[in-house]
Amino acid sequence: MGYPLEKASAMGSERSVESQSTADASKISYHRHMPWLVVSALIGCWWVVSALHIFTPLALPSPVHVVRDGYVIATTGYNGYSLLDNIGASVLRIAVGFFAAIIVGVPVGLLMASSKLVFNAIDPLLQFFRPIPPLAYIPVMIIWFGAGQMSKFILIFICTIPIIIINAMSGAKNVQETRIRVAQVFGADRHQLLRYVILPSALPEIFTGMRVGIGVAWTCLVAAEMIAAQTGLGAMILTAGNELRTGVVFVGIILIGIIGYLMELTIRTVERRLIPWKGKA
Amino acid sequence: MIEIRQVQKTYPPVNGASEPVVALESVDVTIQPGEFVTVVGPSGCGKTTLLNMVAGFEHPTQGSILLDGQEVRQPGPERAVVFQQPSLLPWLTIEDNVAFGITIGHGKSQLDRGRLEGLMQTMGLSEFSRHYPYQLSGGMQQRCAIARAVITDPAILLMDEPFGALDAQTRSDMQRFLLALWTDLHHTVLFITHDVEEAILLADRVLVMTPRPGHIAKELKINLARPRYWDMVMAPEFTEYKRKILAVLRPESSARPASG
Repeated sequence: MGYPLEKASAMGSERSVESQSTADASKISYHRHMPWLVVSALIGCWWVVSALHIFTPLALPSPVHVVRDGYVIATTGYNGYSLLDNIGASVLRIAVGFFAAIIVGVPVGLLMASSKLVFNAIDPLLQFFRPIPPLAYIPVMIIWFGAGQMSKFILIFICTIPIIIINAMSGAKNVQETRIRVAQVFGADRHQLLRYVILPSALPEIFTGMRVGIGVAWTCLVAAEMIAAQTGLGAMILTAGNELRTGVVFVGIILIGIIGYLMELTIRTVERRLIPWKGKA
Repeated sequence: MIEIRQVQKTYPPVNGASEPVVALESVDVTIQPGEFVTVVGPSGCGKTTLLNMVAGFEHPTQGSILLDGQEVRQPGPERAVVFQQPSLLPWLTIEDNVAFGITIGHGKSQLDRGRLEGLMQTMGLSEFSRHYPYQLSGGMQQRCAIARAVITDPAILLMDEPFGALDAQTRSDMQRFLLALWTDLHHTVLFITHDVEEAILLADRVLVMTPRPGHIAKELKINLARPRYWDMVMAPEFTEYKRKILAVLRPESSARPASG
């Protein structure tokens, strides 16, 4: 069976729903409601704890308070910028930096897997830059690229590209040897091998890299916005924190969580369309 | 014509052993065009290594493998290979998998649709052309792999235990499919198996291999009439061939202990 286990992992969930027989239909509908039950229970706890006044409202505003703050900044904006401006600014930075990382990282990863020369050239750089925390780059980014958009794009690019490269490389290295041999028998050249066998074989791992990468992208984006930005959800949280508007801080945190979740769902949907065979072959 | 001349294959020592591993020793075989040759032997006797060298995936340590007089250096489209696992590409439909060799070799525009459909028909895959490999049974996947191998009209078909992973019923169906296909196309076949009955039923000639070091211990011409049918396994000549092969593969069991 193993159904509850699979459901618990984000990667297994799409597979398990399809493969369930009708006999388990009632179980499925029960499991479907789990996310809402968990979220409701958490909000319920939060509400009770805040209503007991163990902590001051400054430390822990009530859910009602946060919803009210959310409504206010959604309608009138905060600190001179509307909520949509802030969300838009953050999403744009993620989109540009992260897409650039995918467009550059996937080919680099595939090349590293198929050429010893490319691997030896790039691997030391990759391993050198990988453990450096994004916050360490921020001063240099601001000095080199200014406090504008460019420094944020580049920061996200630098922080996510190692993840994309490593996953693409590992996916390409894990291609079953017989698949390569099948193509070689038909006289495939290096380019054809890459395009018709290695890239599609590596797609599942590339998608895993994208899912991990999108989380990392948010982490370093918010860090960057907290230091040098007027707009964006990170900047909003920082300003609100300085003004002791804890409710607005909570709104910012919840929004980042929701947008991150939506991005994950988007990647998952694309993945299901593109690689329906994942885990089956 | 495939000429395997005094081929030896050794692998470097493993796990700190000092002696290199001898996989094959002085293998000498000539396979005529259109001949169906099976190689039977236990696992570890080097039969897959032999096939991989004919395919061009591996190279002999000593000796040479000639294909119509030319030394084999790399894989090529005139030598199609069917592996034990179907090894289909899971992102392609069954039809695109069968057509893969044309896509790689000549571009998809060169695909002869009539030929593709005919082949799908022969292999019983017509209804599944738009399916994906994971939606098909193991036997159907392997038929797809065979269709993929023959679509480019190879002179030689190299088969590495292609039915080894299938159940007995499916295996028997697959043998029928293969013989029907071979009767039509009559390419040279080098077929590896560990199943003695399969080896005899399919072959014009059986090569019996034994391990440590891998070498051809016996060669046996099979003079059963064609077309072959599954019930031939019960014919006296068949049993005689089987006895001869088993005597090589299991010498200890042919000398029966005195009953007590």
